[in-house]
Amino acid sequence: MITDNDVVPAADTLTAWIGSVSTEIGELSVKVASLLEENLAGRSKVSKAALVGLDDLAREFLGKNSFAVGAGTFFAGDFAEEGGRALEWWFRKNDGSMERLDADRTPGSNRYYDYEKLPFFSIAASTGEQTVWGPYIDYLGFEEYVLTFTSPVYTHGKFIGVTGCDIRIKDLEPLIMPTLRAIPADAALINSSNRVILGNSGMYLVGERIKPGAHNEHRVALNVPHLGLSLVYAT
Amino acid sequence: MASPTSFQSQIYRSLPEIERADAIVERISKAIGLGLLKVGERLPSEASLSEMFGVGGATLREALSELREQGVVETRRGRSGGTFIVSQPPTQTDTIREWFLSTSISEIRDIGDEHSAIAAATVRLACERAEAHDFDRLQELGRALVLATTPEVRAPADSRFHIELAVSAQSPRLANAEIRLQQETVQQLWTPLAASLDPEAAAAEHLELVRAIAQDQPERAQRLVLAHIKRNIFHLIDTKLTLSYAASTESAKASSS
Repeated sequence: MITDNDVVPAADTLTAWIGSVSTEIGELSVKVASLLEENLAGRSKVSKAALVGLDDLAREFLGKNSFAVGAGTFFAGDFAEEGGRALEWWFRKNDGSMERLDADRTPGSNRYYDYEKLPFFSIAASTGEQTVWGPYIDYLGFEEYVLTFTSPVYTHGKFIGVTGCDIRIKDLEPLIMPTLRAIPADAALINSSNRVILGNSGMYLVGERIKPGAHNEHRVALNVPHLGLSLVYAT
Repeated sequence: MASPTSFQSQIYRSLPEIERADAIVERISKAIGLGLLKVGERLPSEASLSEMFGVGGATLREALSELREQGVVETRRGRSGGTFIVSQPPTQTDTIREWFLSTSISEIRDIGDEHSAIAAATVRLACERAEAHDFDRLQELGRALVLATTPEVRAPADSRFHIELAVSAQSPRLANAEIRLQQETVQQLWTPLAASLDPEAAAAEHLELVRAIAQDQPERAQRLVLAHIKRNIFHLIDTKLTLSYAASTESAKASSS
């Protein structure tokens, strides 16, 4: 029968990989914060001028990190100028070129993208720590089945929004499946709400939720701070 | 202009202008593959085909000449002439392998989700609406899978059963959805690329399902059809895992032994 020891190598590999994603978005949030501090020069609202250069940071991130399909910054509503753009998010198109996400920011509109209510924003805002949300269908945003990693951004000690990246579930699969397949049992990477991000067999299907407490199910927490990810396997 | 999101691109997806001939070739090949058109059958006249497909004569002739080249149809001159279907199109193992390599597990699961929704409603309606002669016919079609000895004939036998099930539910929309879902996956299901599916087991499930419908047991019929689809989806996922990620399992076995 397999034990935690058999799962440790896979858990270590996943921890290292996800840890590197976490490091990347941590660095992005530091760069975004310092650019904003410079651009804002004491003003409290994010105007168009304050966004200058953020597009380059997002594109640079996507250029460097081929696993990500989208990257950028979402601002807290209090900081956006009325009628101004409250997000600077870029995504990679199928042909490899990059484009700015044009989400509907008109409250009351049928297609209003109310990202401040979405967990990738609200959790990072309330905890002040990095978070990961998904798999979820980013309806009205990028509109694909994705996993979103975010890190809060602070300027002069005040929370002003989140920065992060999207990874498409179908792009994640080839990156981590070899590691999951190396586990000699049914196993899956799951998020903090017991939802399967990816499993190595039909037993754990992406998007399904695991009912905790099965006696033959074991968990190994992944040591990436605040993300709440675990590896689950069945004996 | 910003490029549309993926939901929007469903609305604005480009109309196949130049690929219309290809679309006709694919439509006819798939219909033969599904058993909707039979070998020996004569296609409608070129004029009515152009009209039905809504294409010009040149486009239609291009499509027919492609099908002739593939050996799928033959055109005979004279009084009893016309264009006839002369052979099954190949199952295109390479195309199917390519489908498995390019389709992710989340997408396969999603096909199963949609199929489950369609099938659950279909069998419930079939319980209410199908009648005695439907049961006999479905029984015969359900069993056909056992008599089919090659993957080329198993795929149309299987899809025929599921399409006729939707037909017995009296809903053209559900039948169309079933046809689309069958076209999307039935070849993948029966082409033995990794482990192969057991036709006897599938036929037994078909027959049990027909019994539940005949006895007007909607709960049981729904449970059976959902289990049937789940098993098929697991088979597709297993095949996907083997084709795309076999190497990682092999190396794991090697290192653990």
